[in-house]
Amino acid sequence: MPLVKRNIEPRHLCHTVLPRAIKNELECVTNVSLANVIRQLSSLSKYAEDLFGELFNEAHSFSFRVNSLQERVDRLSISVTQLDPKEEELSLQDITMRKAFRSSTIQDQQLFARQSLPIPLQETFDLCEQPPPLNILTPYRDDGKEGLKFYTNPSYFFDLWREKMLQDTEDKRKEKRKQKLQDPRMYDQVYRYLDLPGQVRGNERTLETEKIPRAPHDRKKEWQKLALGAELAEDDSEEALKHREANGSAAYHDRSGAPNYLDGMDGPFSLAALPYSQMNELLNRPGDRMYTRPHDPPPPPPMHHLGDINPPSMISSSSGFSDSRPQSPAQTHGFNSNTPPPPPPPLPPPPPPLPSMSGFGPRGTPPPPIPPLPVQQQPPAIPPPPAPLQIAPGVLHPAPPPVAPPLHVSSPARLQQVLDRGPTPGQSDETVLPPPPPPPPLPFPGVRSSSPCPPGPPAVPSFLSGAMASPLSHSGGKKHSASLPPISDARSVLLEAIRKGIQLRKVEEQREQEAAKHERVGNDVATILSRRIAVEYSDSEDESEFDEGDWME
Amino acid sequence: MAGQDDPVQREIHQDWANREYIEVITSSIKKIADFLNSFDMSCRSRLATLNEKLTALERRIEYIEARVTKGETLT
Repeated sequence: MPLVKRNIEPRHLCHTVLPRAIKNELECVTNVSLANVIRQLSSLSKYAEDLFGELFNEAHSFSFRVNSLQERVDRLSISVTQLDPKEEELSLQDITMRKAFRSSTIQDQQLFARQSLPIPLQETFDLCEQPPPLNILTPYRDDGKEGLKFYTNPSYFFDLWREKMLQDTEDKRKEKRKQKLQDPRMYDQVYRYLDLPGQVRGNERTLETEKIPRAPHDRKKEWQKLALGAELAEDDSEEALKHREANGSAAYHDRSGAPNYLDGMDGPFSLAALPYSQMNELLNRPGDRMYTRPHDPPPPPPMHHLGDINPPSMISSSSGFSDSRPQSPAQTHGFNSNTPPPPPPPLPPPPPPLPSMSGFGPRGTPPPPIPPLPVQQQPPAIPPPPAPLQIAPGVLHPAPPPVAPPLHVSSPARLQQVLDRGPTPGQSDETVLPPPPPPPPLPFPGVRSSSPCPPGPPAVPSFLSGAMASPLSHSGGKKHSASLPPISDARSVLLEAIRKGIQLRKVEEQREQEAAKHERVGNDVATILSRRIAVEYSDSEDESEFDEGDWME
Repeated sequence: MAGQDDPVQREIHQDWANREYIEVITSSIKKIADFLNSFDMSCRSRLATLNEKLTALERRIEYIEARVTKGETLT
């Protein structure tokens, strides 16, 4: 049944009760009818005025648009006539630097809301009976909801739809992340060397909330594992699973995550090397930056992989290294931190190994000052490392090229120390390394960081100090300087963090999600829908860009 | 015939005349109402067409402006 917009008021002309004391009833009826006709005419004129007013408002808005369009056309015509014969400079910079054209797509929204109700219909609506005044009970409610909402809520369905849309966007985002992790492109970087399909599940979790609480937990477990010694082989496989599930996708996006599942990878490889790698991983996790791998001989091919892929270099490097040796996690971990220098890595590997090997000799002097500083980070780790470290030098020497990749990694604290010392010994070291381009020096710091653990491999630190002073001081210094104090604090709070970590994570996750949802989105249907559609149909590149942004941070 | 039952007949005749008069008026009111409704509908449809044309023009002008002008650089 069509809804009548404007109702002429006196519906029936002569359906009235006549007064009794009238002689000429017909005349009375006529007069009453004429009076009602006049009232009908008045309501008709009122509705006609309203009708024309609506039409006028629309036409008025169009006139504004037409005028603005006219101005734009005039300006365009002028600029076009000026443009024709003139320069058509198209520098390459212009092509890349110019903002992309974005058309302003204004969508009509909230078309049938209460505010857009026409006036006559609003008047008709006002004639209706009001709902019972349940809102006076609102102050007495505990949950803070309005009393009337339980009786009648006009925005109920819209709220329902909005929540559903937001939830769908979140689900799609998570699915995209999972798909991305399982992507063949990630496969090259991660799985080829790791060869552990089981890890995909672990990495599917969301990264954001689980980074910080997990770090101390892993470290403590790592130290416990190191202390256990012979039980490492068994525990590693278990822990690898746990780490994977705990850190989830953090492994891909956070350096701290990567070592976790790399540890799992390393487990089966070697017992002796494991503690060192784990220790390195632990050490590196707080700073999460540079790994020092003087001993680890990752094969050169992994380096190529690392060089090829920048943002995934973290994972790829780890994968490549884990494939090769026990300490690969540390290497890859450290390597991952060097996302800026990934392109150079393929080139540096050949030169750095040679100088690094030669540098082992002069390293003897720098190591003594260095060990005291790293000791803060690895008090428990020192006993086990010496054993693998003794092996490492032997492994290193025969395979100098692999040394280069691990050199990229160095613990942040060590980096800081190295940087502090960098200027002084660096000069002498640089003489040993004649042509170290900035990327190659990066590996050296990693080597240096490992040196504190094993007093054995001495040569690298000197190189590292010099190398680090030059390239790393500007890049790594900022982040790594902060890692020194937090490391000791994190240890002291480790147990508490482990206990609270799980609970905190869940609560924070929920709170973050809810707060984020409600803050971001108002009643804007277009943004909600567009966000959801973007998540659903966007290319993986968009997500990868987003994720790469996280990595770069 | 004109003098039959003068008062009643006259009244009835008068009543019929009045009713016809009122009927004319009310039918005119209905015609006015119909005219207003149809005018409103046609006006809205024309304004909608005009709106579409304006929107298309605006998009084209925006595109041409983007093509012709130098544009902003990302920095």
